[in-house]
Amino acid sequence: MTTSPDVPSAPRPPLPPRKAVRTASWYTVALLISSVMVLPILWMLTIALKGHSAVFQVPPRLLPDEFHFENFIDGPKAIHFPRLLLNSLVITGLSVTGGVMTSMMAGYALARLRFPGRRLWFYVFVGSMMLPPVVGIIPLFQLFKDIGWYDTWLPLIVPAWLGGNPLFIFLARQYFLSVPYSIDEAAKVDGAGHVRIFFSVMLPITRPAWITMAILAFQLSWNDYLNPLIYLYSSEKWPLSVGMASFVSQFAGQTPDWNLYMAANLLYMLPPLAVFFVAQRYFIQGLSALGTVNQR
Amino acid sequence: MTATPDPRLRRRDKLTSDTRAAYAFMAPALIGFTVFVVYPLIRSAYFALTRYNGLTAPVFVGLGNFRRMFTTDPSFWPSVRATLLLVVLYVPLSLAIGLALAVFCNRRMRGVRVLRTLVYLPVVLPVVATITLWKFVFNPQVGLANQVLTWLHLPTSEWLSGEGSAMPSIVIVMLWSVGSTMIIFLAALQAVPTELYEAARIDGAGSRTMFFRITLPLISPIMVLQVVLQLVTALQTFNQPKILSPDGLGGPGFSTRVLMLSIYNNGFPTLGRVADFGYASAQVWVLFLVIVVVIAATARFSSVWTYSDHVS
Repeated sequence: MTTSPDVPSAPRPPLPPRKAVRTASWYTVALLISSVMVLPILWMLTIALKGHSAVFQVPPRLLPDEFHFENFIDGPKAIHFPRLLLNSLVITGLSVTGGVMTSMMAGYALARLRFPGRRLWFYVFVGSMMLPPVVGIIPLFQLFKDIGWYDTWLPLIVPAWLGGNPLFIFLARQYFLSVPYSIDEAAKVDGAGHVRIFFSVMLPITRPAWITMAILAFQLSWNDYLNPLIYLYSSEKWPLSVGMASFVSQFAGQTPDWNLYMAANLLYMLPPLAVFFVAQRYFIQGLSALGTVNQR
Repeated sequence: MTATPDPRLRRRDKLTSDTRAAYAFMAPALIGFTVFVVYPLIRSAYFALTRYNGLTAPVFVGLGNFRRMFTTDPSFWPSVRATLLLVVLYVPLSLAIGLALAVFCNRRMRGVRVLRTLVYLPVVLPVVATITLWKFVFNPQVGLANQVLTWLHLPTSEWLSGEGSAMPSIVIVMLWSVGSTMIIFLAALQAVPTELYEAARIDGAGSRTMFFRITLPLISPIMVLQVVLQLVTALQTFNQPKILSPDGLGGPGFSTRVLMLSIYNNGFPTLGRVADFGYASAQVWVLFLVIVVVIAATARFSSVWTYSDHVS
């Protein structure tokens, strides 16, 4: 593998032999990398299509002999998938809405309003980004238990409505800083208050910012495993993350219906995949912002 | 990044409509900060000094929990060892592979965008979904991992069920999501001005020289940021050992019982055992202090590691 970043050069008509070798080796390595990334997923797809006995065939075969598309119906049924899916949708929907809304509000105040203490609060929020979540788990568990929220969805949703993620507040503030001040001056002259400015002027302008945030918030909530695991006792309240993990450990003792499980697991992957492909641009932008944050 | 002092911000502006609006807009976040950051921080420090099962009142025991941890608890040092092993395996590998992939993907080739997307794909999938997928990949009899080794005529492994191979297997699962590191390095690489490479090429520099003399120094700030992020992530790893260990407790033996899993097992025990909030909180503080030291040390030495441009 060569390490030189490609420098855009003049158009390249016939390839000199050395360059041809380089190109060929690049594609060989690229193919190797791709197969490491994709092979487990493809293999999962073939398991999801296999019959029960084919899963345990030794030696295993890559492709199924016959296709069992009914696994995509039977699998979800066998592990209460619809129920779990609904739970996940409600929990994620509510925490995304709350997280984005309250972070945008705090970011608006920090970036566009002049008030004593705005630097202090900015540093406080940025500082709390550094605090590892592990510090809170036991006191918060105790707190939620004391106020009767154990085994409810509230511990998974309410924190989001209270500014949830300091990273979002930081992102919101950064974006609001880039909006020209003449815009809200003009709105003020027209007699708009802060609530009006926020909802009718700022939210439409800052759409890329809150879409990015909503995608991140969706990912975080859809993937969250530890919090629902701690707070939810009743299996009928579980989101998909806890449900799917629990079915695997249940299976560990008995003969697992891996084909049914993998069919359901694929369905569990679909929403974030769909979000990724629709909103790829925002994904990369959000992450790239991290990559260049410290650069001159 | 820092707010510039605003001439309009004066003492007499206190409690203007802006101030009231600002605190109203920040109210949810301020309440959240108090309840979810300040309160747990104080409370868990107190819990760490008590014997507390969550049911009866906490009993103050001073440093008793820490004494138990360092001297009598047979699982504490193994869990420190497991955590360190995870960090030592995961952090350097994820940085090296992430950077290598970023350099590899930072060329103008047909299909390079597809490759980037494929490398990033596992990051997008739900963590639990990928972990359970790998649990089956590592199945010794019918899993893909041993099958591939057989095709390549290599010796097979017992993967997650072997004491020696369990942690490396977990690191493999975590490294599959190296795309997030790759994307950040890629963004850093693309911010390096191409004139520098052109100038170096005219001076006769080879690709290796350019990488070590231009690329690495210029992306060193991102490198430091990545080191901190990956260290903090690795120290707090929970999902993979929890779901992948055969008993869910970090087995076989103590091989994958990292500190986070030990905290979880003590604080939220299964099988009818009583919770040990005091002891779990003490372990939380040990982990927390390690994280603080790691961040502080990296920040302290980052000026030595990173290149900074004094000219411009």
